[in-house]
Amino acid sequence: MPSLLGNIFDIWSDYLKGNEQGGHHKYEHMYSMVIDLDKCTGCNACSTACYAENNLAWVGEEKFGARQAMNWLRIERYFDEPDMDAAGDGHGMEQAAATQSDTQDRGASFLPMMCQQCNAAPCEPVCPVAATYHTVDGLNAQVYNRCIGSRYCANNCPFRVRNFNFYDNAPTAWPAPMDQGLNPDISVRSKGVMEKCTFCIQRTRAARDTAKREGREIRDGEIQTACQQTCPTSAILFGDLLDETSKIAQVWKRQQMKLGVYKQDKANPELRGYRIFEELNVDPKVLYLERVREV
Amino acid sequence: MSGGAKKIVVKTKRVLGLFGDFDAAFEAIADIRRYKVPGVTVDDVTLKSPIEHPEIEDVLGERTSDVPKWSFWGGLFGLVFGFFFLASAQATFLVQPQGGKPVITIPSNVVLAYEMMILFGVIATLIGFIIGARLMRKGEGLYDTAISVDQIGIVIEVTDGQLQPLKDVFATHNVLEVHEEALT
Amino acid sequence: MSDQKHLSQEQAKDIDENIAWAKINKDVLRSMENPRKGYWVALFISICLFCVMIYAEVYQYIVGMGPALLNTSHMWDLYISTFVFWIGMSHSGTLLSAILHLVHADWRKPIYRFAEAMTTFSLMTAGLFPVIHLGRVWNFYWVMPYMSDRGLWPNFRSPLIWDAFAITAYLTSSVLFLYIGMVPDLAICRDSATGWRKKLYTFLSLGWRGDDRQWRNFRFTYLMIACFLIPLAVSVHSIVSMDFAMAIMPGWHVTTFPPYFVAGALYSGCAAIITLFILLRYFFKFEEYMTMPILDKVCKLTFVIAMVWTYLNLIEFSAVWYGHDIPSKEVLIAKATGPYSPFFWGMMLCGSVLPFALLSKFVRRNMYVMFFVSIFLNVGMFLERWMIVTPTLSLGYHPQGFNVMWPGWVEWAMVGGSFGWFGMLFLIFVKVFPCVSMYEVKEMVFHRKRVIYEDVDEMMELHSGVPGPKAEPQSTGGA
Repeated sequence: MPSLLGNIFDIWSDYLKGNEQGGHHKYEHMYSMVIDLDKCTGCNACSTACYAENNLAWVGEEKFGARQAMNWLRIERYFDEPDMDAAGDGHGMEQAAATQSDTQDRGASFLPMMCQQCNAAPCEPVCPVAATYHTVDGLNAQVYNRCIGSRYCANNCPFRVRNFNFYDNAPTAWPAPMDQGLNPDISVRSKGVMEKCTFCIQRTRAARDTAKREGREIRDGEIQTACQQTCPTSAILFGDLLDETSKIAQVWKRQQMKLGVYKQDKANPELRGYRIFEELNVDPKVLYLERVREV
Repeated sequence: MSGGAKKIVVKTKRVLGLFGDFDAAFEAIADIRRYKVPGVTVDDVTLKSPIEHPEIEDVLGERTSDVPKWSFWGGLFGLVFGFFFLASAQATFLVQPQGGKPVITIPSNVVLAYEMMILFGVIATLIGFIIGARLMRKGEGLYDTAISVDQIGIVIEVTDGQLQPLKDVFATHNVLEVHEEALT
Repeated sequence: MSDQKHLSQEQAKDIDENIAWAKINKDVLRSMENPRKGYWVALFISICLFCVMIYAEVYQYIVGMGPALLNTSHMWDLYISTFVFWIGMSHSGTLLSAILHLVHADWRKPIYRFAEAMTTFSLMTAGLFPVIHLGRVWNFYWVMPYMSDRGLWPNFRSPLIWDAFAITAYLTSSVLFLYIGMVPDLAICRDSATGWRKKLYTFLSLGWRGDDRQWRNFRFTYLMIACFLIPLAVSVHSIVSMDFAMAIMPGWHVTTFPPYFVAGALYSGCAAIITLFILLRYFFKFEEYMTMPILDKVCKLTFVIAMVWTYLNLIEFSAVWYGHDIPSKEVLIAKATGPYSPFFWGMMLCGSVLPFALLSKFVRRNMYVMFFVSIFLNVGMFLERWMIVTPTLSLGYHPQGFNVMWPGWVEWAMVGGSFGWFGMLFLIFVKVFPCVSMYEVKEMVFHRKRVIYEDVDEMMELHSGVPGPKAEPQSTGGA
């Protein structure tokens, strides 16, 4: 255990830097996502894949209705207001409402929402035991073993993407022999612990270990999150922003998006890219491409 | 009294005089201050009372207490120790969550150091009180339970020769009871 | 007596200055003996409530936080509100003991002992809740900063850690303040006790003999701890408010929360003092010490603090209404018109309208009415704490998080049980330790006797040139 006073004088000025002053982290990667809302059909395959990949327990209809579910990735449905129907054929409000259905043609939009891995995450500083922190990969990590379940992080998340294990769901969700189908790369959480989307950190770490073993850098596209892998329309793109040759870095560049600001300053205001709640200065790393609407 | 070499006087008796009201005790001590009892000065007097009487210092002489010093140094220690303890812990625990915030955050450390200042200040005050008031000592002698009800006691250590003049002074001020005990 | 002509006719005395000191001792010591049947019934009820709490906690330990009906939007509910409620209740003891001591308001002397005890026990009750509301209760000690062999420290940036430090400091200081203030009284108890009580008091009174050295040091100690305790009390509830103010949620991220919480704390504490005042006065027959004029003053103080709280409440609403922050505005409108609105308006009624009853002399002088008024004031303050926590969480920023939640039986069991725990501690306290400070009442009587004489003599000398009687008043003081 290094001496208590040892580190404090070494890099004192470094320790005083917040996000606005460049931060303390020397990031090795900056994993982020781009989700094209025009391609998303709301099929929920990503959500299901997330359940399978991350050992998420189903909780049953009653508990889901009581909002005690464990869905890390949810598909949010938004309906256009009735007098804005996408067909643009001038139908009255009542008729538009009557024709409203779950299709994009008739005014429904779908938005996959998961942990945005904010660079200035509001959930991180409020955990009393430091169970959630920012890794050098740019991910917001949740340490299940350290979590004592105070749930302050979930209160502070503006996206409401954190799930708490209100029960020990494992015995009911995976009665034997269904527990044979669990993903061995990731733990099964017990009650009293907070969890959320990790950008499939188990796959990230596995790829990093493979790359290290083979003495090379991680290639773009080598890591695929479960949701990205399953999406039938390839609406989800995942990659490392610090790798300038990666597809995702190019998408962010094309959309003229910058990290570390709470208001983008784009030369072309018609660009589709936006981040949710970035005005709260949380610096989210998921870029959403707005659905194309006919005018 | 007889000017000249200082003599070391061996006190042989401890006397407790119980008075029914504060003003009588006040006047008795005033008499002692005016040297009505040869050889006994106000510095030898201890007042035992059911309530505090800061006004007794008009006759008893100004006496000081060290407790504020304890409070000050305790508080200062708490403040400095608190801040550096926290900053050191934060500097050592480098995986500290970021949230876009620095590792050593001045606002939170100031808040916590403030609390530590008060905690250590209070504890130091308590220690200073116990030491200064000479509490928790055995057998400091001559106490009457009437003191905790409504009587005031004056305790003086005297030699045999001073005993009678002292009792006379007490008697002129309506002393209720006089207790004696031999000092060993 | 003719000396009292300069007192107004209406102004009754806070205490009769001719009370014999031996009687003070006797009355208070009598209150600690021979508990009657009602006492045992009250203690039994408290223990039963506490057992309900234990049962609920064991159930929660085994099953998880789910039966409390918390969900993904409402991660906090009654546990945190009750926590804030109990911390709030603890501030009045400090107000009475420390603040009123600094301004030499001696009418606090007969009542501050039980108020200070209430402070200590409220803190001990509040301290249960940060542990109860954890998902993994058995690891609660991780919030303490200790040298762990894995090099892990708690996250000092979190307001919950500030809570832990602040409450530790406040509880320690309050217990020490209560104890130190009690030392001369414990000496009195020691002098007239027998059996196990004598042993207890002999140990606890630390050999107090009433020496002038002891009193001098005592005076300074009391003053120093009072000076420490006042900023501590303010900071503790400010830190508790920062559990909310440091979050980014609309309706929580409000700058006025620290003073608002402190005002609310003083308010609910004063209301609780009135409740306990009436109960103790009735059951222990302390009519001569806990007099109606003192109750009158406490009621007036409560009214003033109620107005401060009302102002801060309304200012917060006005600031939100004038501002441009739409989520905050929506939360405010939801509080007033949404599913929680009955409780919001109940809070406004009990917290802002009911205190005006304290302006009426009839209400202030009538113990039965005052008892219920004080209980409802506290109900209003409990609702206030709940209204801070739940409407914000039911809305938040994200529309997919909108949710209305009502607490489950587990939460109610914990809340009720906390009252049982508090009641248990307080009932045991009043029988083992003197709940009226005997030496301070004697001081009050002593000084009031002298003040009358000194005032009149000085006034006579000053205005008419007639030399007053000798400086030594008649020997009627004390015995």
